[in-house]
Amino acid sequence: MSTAAANQAQSATQLDELNALDDEAFRQQVRAFLRTHYPEELRFPVKRLHWAQIKPWYLTLSRHGWVAPGWAREYGGMGLSAAKQIIYMEEFESYGVARAPDMGIVMLGPLLIRYGSEAQKQFFLPRILSGEHIWCQGYSEPNSGSDLASLRTEAVQEGDHWVVNGQKTWTTLATDANWIFVLVRTDRGAKKQEGISFLLVPMDSPGVTVRPLLNLDLHDEFCEVFFDAVKVPCDNLVGQVNHGWSMAKALLGFERIFIGSPKQSAYALKRLLALVEHLGIAAEPLCVERVARFRMELEDHTLLYETFAERLKRGESLGPDVSLLKINQCELYQRITEYMLEIAGEHAGLLEPIDGIRDLNAAGLFLQSRVTTIYGGSSEIQRNILAKHVLDLPG
Amino acid sequence: MSLGEERLESIRMIRDSAAALAPRKDLKRVRALRFSEPGFDRGLWRQMCAMGWVGLRVPELEGGSGLGMAELCALAEELGAALVPEPLVAGVVAAHLLNGTDLADHIAGRRLFIPAWQEWAGSLEFDGGEMRLRDGRLSGRKLFVPMAAGADAYVLSVPHGVAIVPAATEGMSRDLEQAQDGGHYATLTLAGVPVQPIAMERRRIADALDEAALATAAYLLGVAEQAFALTLEYLCTRKQFGQPIGSFQALQHRAVDLRLQLALSRASIGGAAAVLDGEAAPAARQAAVSRAKARAADAALLVTRQAVQLHGAIGYTDEFDIGLFLRKAMTLANLYGSAAQHRARYARLTPSTAEATA
Repeated sequence: MSTAAANQAQSATQLDELNALDDEAFRQQVRAFLRTHYPEELRFPVKRLHWAQIKPWYLTLSRHGWVAPGWAREYGGMGLSAAKQIIYMEEFESYGVARAPDMGIVMLGPLLIRYGSEAQKQFFLPRILSGEHIWCQGYSEPNSGSDLASLRTEAVQEGDHWVVNGQKTWTTLATDANWIFVLVRTDRGAKKQEGISFLLVPMDSPGVTVRPLLNLDLHDEFCEVFFDAVKVPCDNLVGQVNHGWSMAKALLGFERIFIGSPKQSAYALKRLLALVEHLGIAAEPLCVERVARFRMELEDHTLLYETFAERLKRGESLGPDVSLLKINQCELYQRITEYMLEIAGEHAGLLEPIDGIRDLNAAGLFLQSRVTTIYGGSSEIQRNILAKHVLDLPG
Repeated sequence: MSLGEERLESIRMIRDSAAALAPRKDLKRVRALRFSEPGFDRGLWRQMCAMGWVGLRVPELEGGSGLGMAELCALAEELGAALVPEPLVAGVVAAHLLNGTDLADHIAGRRLFIPAWQEWAGSLEFDGGEMRLRDGRLSGRKLFVPMAAGADAYVLSVPHGVAIVPAATEGMSRDLEQAQDGGHYATLTLAGVPVQPIAMERRRIADALDEAALATAAYLLGVAEQAFALTLEYLCTRKQFGQPIGSFQALQHRAVDLRLQLALSRASIGGAAAVLDGEAAPAARQAAVSRAKARAADAALLVTRQAVQLHGAIGYTDEFDIGLFLRKAMTLANLYGSAAQHRARYARLTPSTAEATA
């Protein structure tokens, strides 16, 4: 047996054992795993890390089969129950584990598992897990934000290739990615939703240019990506030509349940608790009341999240009501960071974290939380979707 | 966390039979009973007993249905949606505190026992020192005894246990106050009433009141869900400026925010029911109840207030039904502990330090 195969067999047994544990024992295992393997100097990063910094950790997760908690075991995931996925996430948050590039894990992987060809699954899924392929998402365009279906980046078929021209924007960590999944217009004559296809493009293709943009937190997290006569093999199209929109929407469903997970709010709440202790106000009645409210809100949100995660796990598709999760999580996250800013005193206006302590980054967290009600479909768009498709309101 | 198929089926059956016994759309009966005495229908109460609802939490060996909190919450929600005035939650509390023949009579509907535990307004304390027991004679005051005019007997919390006092007992006076939902509360004043106290652990009474708080949360969820459903119908049919008012984005977004609060309340109540049906420690059980009751009380008041607002002037009339839901929410929101009390209790019961939650 080769070393790689032996490793694989070993991690398969370990994953069986992990799945069989009760929730509390599982939590202890995750905690122990992080203490053993996660680099101390990367805990509670102030800004999102780039691939070069986070790569060793990603490879560690990969070696142990811990990269994809939600994927089924047959595709190399951990196959965890919804409850265990939440515990996994909670422990990562409370240990201050940095977010790795996860577009492949959270977005593309589940999409390929559902819509990809056998060849696409076999080629791409293992490469996501191994860290060989780092994905970014090419959805928004300068004039197609909330009205995403109006996108104009175009692909024209020439022989066994598509030729892509156009521009994507708000592409998170495109500088770190070596692949991008893009929505392209493949039929200009059709109704706007019916002429869109889903294409997988290597970032090193001739004609692809990336320009980073500084965000409000002064981080070069997102980018513009330009396509100038980029040739893409026809095999790289997922699903059928002109049927990309329904897949894209399914992907937005995955994104909404991901953003709607308690992760960010749980992280912010931990930081808030540390902050009130640092400031010495933890026992003040007004503070006790606010903190208790946030903790209750987070518990309720987590329970709501579990009902959606269970649906997903039973193999049901997510309905449009997943937008409720996205709205609530992002707005809760913001309420927590707004309170942090309120109690931070003059530190609210400083660039550096409070007293130089990395996890007391009230101003930074406040700024970072601003984007969450804008990306992945703004809160206003989510409310439009819910009104129309869940409440069946007219017009 | 998720319930098994067998329990889901029993919950479906409970919901169906509740909907059959107390149809949501028939509020004529509810209106006719408002501000009357005893304010509910003893015949329907007996049917509810026959369905096994009053003994729902009583173990099968003691003649009850032996079902869990998830089942009780589903039932309470259905009754809430129909604004049922029959005192199910009080009846379930009493069943927890009774034994032997009293229990058998109570859950069969032969005699109705109503719990009288409260000694201070806005308090969850059931043994606050107001009741004095001397030489077998009980003196003191119990407040906010719900639907007391229909009771055959009261179960009073007393030092170290409970005491049962029949409704017409010399030395006990009963003063009724009307409630906003058309029901009433009694103040019971006892002056040296001879009783035979029954020793009972504090835990048993506290647990009964926690279950009542959670069942009330579920009842409030039913009230709010039905008020919201009626409001959505109205948004789709009421026309102004030549179009249904539900086509206006401002109103659509508000409706979505109400839906979100309902979804959170449902998740919170379901989670708390699972905790009570499980093996958690007392503090964790109480914290879960507090979280759910606070959420449901706030959500029910928000949704029913907005339901009136979204109906416009017709919503401000007594003859239009939507106001009944607001008045029910006003009455129940603070019963078995207000949102503020439950938030305070939650904060007391659960650690809030960075280390404790790390």
